[in-house]
Amino acid sequence: MTRIRPGGLALGAALLVGLVALAGWHATQGTTDLGLRELLGWLGGDASHASVIVESRLPRIAAAIVVGLALGAAGYAMQTLTGNPLASPDTLAVNGGASAAIAIAAVAGISLPGIGGAGIAFVGGLIAALAVVAIGRGRGSTTQMVLVGTALALALQSVTTVTIILNEQETAGLYAWGVGRLSQNGIDTVAQLLPIVLVGIAVLLVLARRLDVLALGEEAATTIGVGVGRLRLGTLIASVALAAAAVAIAGPIGFVGLAAPIVIRMVARRIPGAARHVVAIPLAALAGAVLVVGADVLLRAALPGTASLDVPTGVVTSLVGAVCIIVLARTMAGAAETESMSVLGGRTIAKHAWLPIVIAAVVLTAMTVAAVLLGDRLLLLGDVVNWLAGRAGDAVRVTLDTRTPRVAAAVLAGVALALSGALVQAVARNALAEPYLLGVAGGAGLGAVSIITLVPVATGWLVAGSALAGGAIAGVLVLVLVGWRRLGSLRLVLTGLALSAATAALTSMLIVITDPWNRGKAIVWLSGSTYGRGFEDVIPVAIAVVLSLLALTWMHRDLDLAQLDEATPRLLGVRLTAVQIIALAIAVVLASTAVAAIGVVAFVGLVAPHAARAIVGARHRVLLPLAALLGGSLTLLADTLGRTLIAPAQLPAGIMTALVGIPYFIWLVLQAGRSR
Amino acid sequence: MSQRILPARPVLAGVAVLTALALAACGTTEAPAESAAPGASSEAVTLTDARGVEVEIPAEVEDVVALEWAAVEHLQVAGVPPVGVADVAGYTDWSGTGAPLEGEPTDVGTRIEPSIDAIAGLAPDLIVTVLGADDAAYADLEAIAPVLVLQGADAADPIGTMYADLRLVGEAVGGQDAVETAITEYEARVEELRATVEEAGLTGTPLAHMDGYENGGQVEIRPYADGALLPAAFESIGFVNGWPGEGDAQYGLGVTDVEGLTALEEGTHIVYMTVGERDVFTDQLASNAIYTDLPTVQAGNVHRLPDGIWLFGGVKSMTAYLDALVAALSPAP
Repeated sequence: MTRIRPGGLALGAALLVGLVALAGWHATQGTTDLGLRELLGWLGGDASHASVIVESRLPRIAAAIVVGLALGAAGYAMQTLTGNPLASPDTLAVNGGASAAIAIAAVAGISLPGIGGAGIAFVGGLIAALAVVAIGRGRGSTTQMVLVGTALALALQSVTTVTIILNEQETAGLYAWGVGRLSQNGIDTVAQLLPIVLVGIAVLLVLARRLDVLALGEEAATTIGVGVGRLRLGTLIASVALAAAAVAIAGPIGFVGLAAPIVIRMVARRIPGAARHVVAIPLAALAGAVLVVGADVLLRAALPGTASLDVPTGVVTSLVGAVCIIVLARTMAGAAETESMSVLGGRTIAKHAWLPIVIAAVVLTAMTVAAVLLGDRLLLLGDVVNWLAGRAGDAVRVTLDTRTPRVAAAVLAGVALALSGALVQAVARNALAEPYLLGVAGGAGLGAVSIITLVPVATGWLVAGSALAGGAIAGVLVLVLVGWRRLGSLRLVLTGLALSAATAALTSMLIVITDPWNRGKAIVWLSGSTYGRGFEDVIPVAIAVVLSLLALTWMHRDLDLAQLDEATPRLLGVRLTAVQIIALAIAVVLASTAVAAIGVVAFVGLVAPHAARAIVGARHRVLLPLAALLGGSLTLLADTLGRTLIAPAQLPAGIMTALVGIPYFIWLVLQAGRSR
Repeated sequence: MSQRILPARPVLAGVAVLTALALAACGTTEAPAESAAPGASSEAVTLTDARGVEVEIPAEVEDVVALEWAAVEHLQVAGVPPVGVADVAGYTDWSGTGAPLEGEPTDVGTRIEPSIDAIAGLAPDLIVTVLGADDAAYADLEAIAPVLVLQGADAADPIGTMYADLRLVGEAVGGQDAVETAITEYEARVEELRATVEEAGLTGTPLAHMDGYENGGQVEIRPYADGALLPAAFESIGFVNGWPGEGDAQYGLGVTDVEGLTALEEGTHIVYMTVGERDVFTDQLASNAIYTDLPTVQAGNVHRLPDGIWLFGGVKSMTAYLDALVAALSPAP
């Protein structure tokens, strides 16, 4: 009955052989000259190098294998569970929760007796995932859960960054941990968590046959008599425990939980019988292990000795995983499965579209005025009048000279990101799509960081131009790799996601290698800040917003059709490919200029369009203005609070957006879920 | 729940609140400027800072803001304690023993993104910081007062860089004499300690100063390689740097893991510093056989120095560091 066909077996055997070979090579690498000969000597009973082998080499290879197995299996199960190919341990906020717990523990000086830091990471990851499940548990669709999870993950990441900024000395080294690092202090951590990983994988294998049915659709599963609720719960607990164990061992190793399952999904399609979960889950686990061990081997072969310690392994897994996904997505034949965007737009919260738009406009205006007055130094309107008239005193002049461009940068970048997100979601037809996902924001960030690294005196226009070039190159690359005619397909989403992971990895690598002690630079270009922005930095994004609004008033009806599916717009005579390319081009320009203005901000482009869709529905005539207003308001509120709350210390806007936006977003998801 | 129209009353209330707030926000917090800014004094000095920028500094600088901890110490040595300091609490924890804060400076925010508002509110004559921020941030600061950017560290000549930064600060605030005195005192102290080390028979002892960090159960070690300030300082009193690895070009910091510690030669002393309860060397590493098997550890040659001496500081911090080091290594009387 559970006969395994030779194709799956052959693939599994190949992965296993590869894993053993890589593991052997891996054990000969390290910060001391201890190679194959010493290793064989130890196996033969020579104890002179035993402590290094037992306390450093073996724990590291064990960590790499166990983490890879856990992430591969967890990711595969989560993707089946949510029905979304983009689901991964990140999606359920496991990694975010673990990082935040570690950061808070570091600052508060908390330590759990016996299990130590790894235990804190495990507990943090588990709590976060359970919160996501509790909040996002919807009747019918798991997209809600995926959205809540992604948003919460970003918010928790922000908590981590906030603690790093406010406690620079206490949290030294946390950044590298947060990107995923395999270094182990003895075998204890791996040994403690190995049972959880083994049990987790065993549970998933027991549930495998029922997961096959679930993959066909919930209704089919219920008809056949599978208890969907219990199945879901069991799978969820097992996969979350696996992911939490992985993050406890090695920190959030990037992209493995996403890449390994996707690779196996794409390959398994061509092998008869390999797509069944009882075969595919072990394959995904093995692929995860090969990916982690391979990335670590590659890293330490390229940078021998201590040089490799500067670059967290998670950076390399992101790069290697990204290349795998891009190559496979290109050769993938029928990758057209897409997800309906109607989850949050089916029934709307507001009855009249104009009311929320008017309210949002009033709120944004009031907030803009408030933002000019609020800050470390509280100003009054009379000060602003004096300043406008050019007769303000020195302190007020300087304060307003530096504060007003920051307010403008926050509003305009927020508007641009929200519009860009709405466009990307319409073209990609995926609820998790956002400018960051296309690799555009990442490419723009990489462009900006490169020019700052190469030309230390780079000015606003040069940085903006370079960001635009980076974003445009990433955008064109995505278009070319995906192909003009397949823009609405899963291929777009996968390629974009891989590219964005790769650009983020390259950006952190560039910063870590060229300027390791410059935390300010890392924060601006990895999470976004309005600090030090002048009006000259804002002009490009202002021009982009105005031009886009003009273009969008002309094409909003085409977008309404384009977001439905492939066939409808063509039947109605809309030139779908042209609409999609223009929409993406606009999205690229908006996102790149926004990045040039305030750095890489992730949350706004995802959440603002969803919020607007939940309130007024999916018609772009009303969706786009509301999304723009909400995006501007969110970024501005984040920046204002960041400047004001804990003054004179301040928190960057890019970090505050997720913290400020998450309660509202979760409430919105719950409202939309309830009104269905 | 499907019909959720916002009722009129909350909207009206909102409008009323906004109006009230708008009215309350009228007025000014500062009288309009009446006269032009005072003309630059004839005694102004022009200095070239670490950016290569020529900074024109007015005569008789009084109010200075320091955005890095090394700058705070240099200013105190030069006789002009800053009126504004970035991250006062952090300074107290990490630098307060070696170079205690003089006076009660205003906190101007974090070292990464100091508050422009707070700095402008202090109306300083000069802002002193260390290389690292981008030009946009310097431009905002320069709208308030001249910005003097220090080199901070240079692995090519760590002690020389410390002196050069201190002398630059001295020239900027007219404290040349105090600065030269402090440098002379530091060098005299170095000679005394060199003699003490010689007498104790410790000359030539290899030391490895390192930071240890723990995150999520993982241990990271940052040794101070040749080119870092600390080894340069302790070599000047007769010790030698026992860490064989290389560091970065600015701070001379290396990175390694527990396995990498096996590179330490027998007879090396491990020296480290931390603040508060977190102590990787006594907690996480105590159960690691690689660490406990190290000849250094077997011999009990691991020393924790007192908290609160800034390892990237100036002559006061370095004096405190060397004193603590000699006290820790000298056999008990």
